[in-house]
Amino acid sequence: MHLMNFWLEPRYLGWLAHGFLITLILSACVSVCATLLGFGLAMARIAQHRAVATAAKLYVLVFRNSPLLVQLLFWYFGAAMLLPSAWMTWLNTPHVLSAGPFALHWPSFELFAGWLGLTCYSTAFIAEEFRAGIRGVGIAQYQASAALGMTRYATLRHVVLPQAVRIATPPLAGQYMNIVKNSSLTMAIGVAELSYASRQVDTESFRTFQAFGTATVLYVGTVALIETALVIWQHTGVRALQRGRA
Amino acid sequence: MTALEWLPTLRYLLLGAFPNGPLGGAALTVVLSVVSALLSAVVGLAGGVALALTRGGAYVVLLGIVAFFRAIPVLMLIFWTFFLMPMLLHIDVPGLVAVVCALSLIGGAYLSHAVHAGIVSVGAGQQQAALSLGLTRWQALRHVVLPQAVRIMLPSFVNQWVSLVKDTSLAYIVGVPEFTFLANQVNSRLMIYPAQIFVFVGIVYLVLCSALQWIASRVLLRERAVHVTRIDAATEMETEASTVRDEQHGVAVR
Repeated sequence: MHLMNFWLEPRYLGWLAHGFLITLILSACVSVCATLLGFGLAMARIAQHRAVATAAKLYVLVFRNSPLLVQLLFWYFGAAMLLPSAWMTWLNTPHVLSAGPFALHWPSFELFAGWLGLTCYSTAFIAEEFRAGIRGVGIAQYQASAALGMTRYATLRHVVLPQAVRIATPPLAGQYMNIVKNSSLTMAIGVAELSYASRQVDTESFRTFQAFGTATVLYVGTVALIETALVIWQHTGVRALQRGRA
Repeated sequence: MTALEWLPTLRYLLLGAFPNGPLGGAALTVVLSVVSALLSAVVGLAGGVALALTRGGAYVVLLGIVAFFRAIPVLMLIFWTFFLMPMLLHIDVPGLVAVVCALSLIGGAYLSHAVHAGIVSVGAGQQQAALSLGLTRWQALRHVVLPQAVRIMLPSFVNQWVSLVKDTSLAYIVGVPEFTFLANQVNSRLMIYPAQIFVFVGIVYLVLCSALQWIASRVLLRERAVHVTRIDAATEMETEASTVRDEQHGVAVR
């Protein structure tokens, strides 16, 4: 008992664990959605249709050059005004999705706004990474597939994208790290994630060092985990490539 | 509300209580950005040079410190500087100082990688040539390598400064009366125009960031006017960034 109290009481550790779980769930949801949407946006940016490409360019400009915090505050305070009140009532009433032994609790409006804001913000960055990957594929690849008589779609699907995704993976991992770090901003709109929990533990227990120390270690650990996954992917990727060539 | 009634609010958002009180609002955001940008450049240059000059154990320790500041969320570092610096140093740290410290450290950590990559990309040949002319290691770095490296690093600096302008909004968390804080204050007072207020705030940040990029692209354009006829600043930055990335992850790409 004495030993445990030396760092933080179990009650406070529980708060931090819950906050960490919210951070992980939020980051995972945002990463999946932003990757899908970002891929779509990158496709729109390289589209031959002028209007589509311009719209995508404008989206990236606006969402990349304004602070995430302002965007979150906009979705949290502003979306409530813009959405029809019936939707807001529906969003605010708890629904429970149950599948077998698992019951999914309806997310709070704060969490929903945080997810929306983070997704819109990260989509712009991820789209740019995909686009940079596509630009990284050499012009000769296009010419070669044109010489083989492939259509624009077939070229993109079978020649350019497989290489582009490979080039874009390291920077994409960097974006996923950013998503984990950026999820801390959602505390400003009241999402009970890790930073929020650490602040709460600090106020309640006056153990500032322990509260922020634990949260920092968890953040750094998560980012290090993504980095490790990237390094493992790179090594297996290179080995697979060499095996293919041999 | 008519346009005239909005004027005091607009003034408050842009300048805070300025002539009668401390500077705030968008003006404080600009001041905060400029101070943190300069400090982060100093930290970044020092860190990058240190990374380039150290070997072995010292290098690994330095790399670990840089990695730590790159892995920690800005918000968390602001907490550390705001709540822990007073406890450890037994001095009263104002929110403004805490935020500037946090932003310069994080910006500096990112920039030291850029500076290091820039120095490496100049190539060992330049360094060796300078050494063979009898220059000391420091002189070689100062007069031969760094002037060339700075040109390569400039786009990374601009990118970092743009994200720094955006990150000053985090000062809101510790109650510094900068732009986002005042916007939130005005929003809670009026209650009926949240979407309009935050769209306006977003546009002002957009203008600030775009202006910074535009100025930077003009400077780059002048620098390279000799051999490049037309430079799209954004693409220039991306290719530079991706070359740095390629160097770091060269194994995977090829």
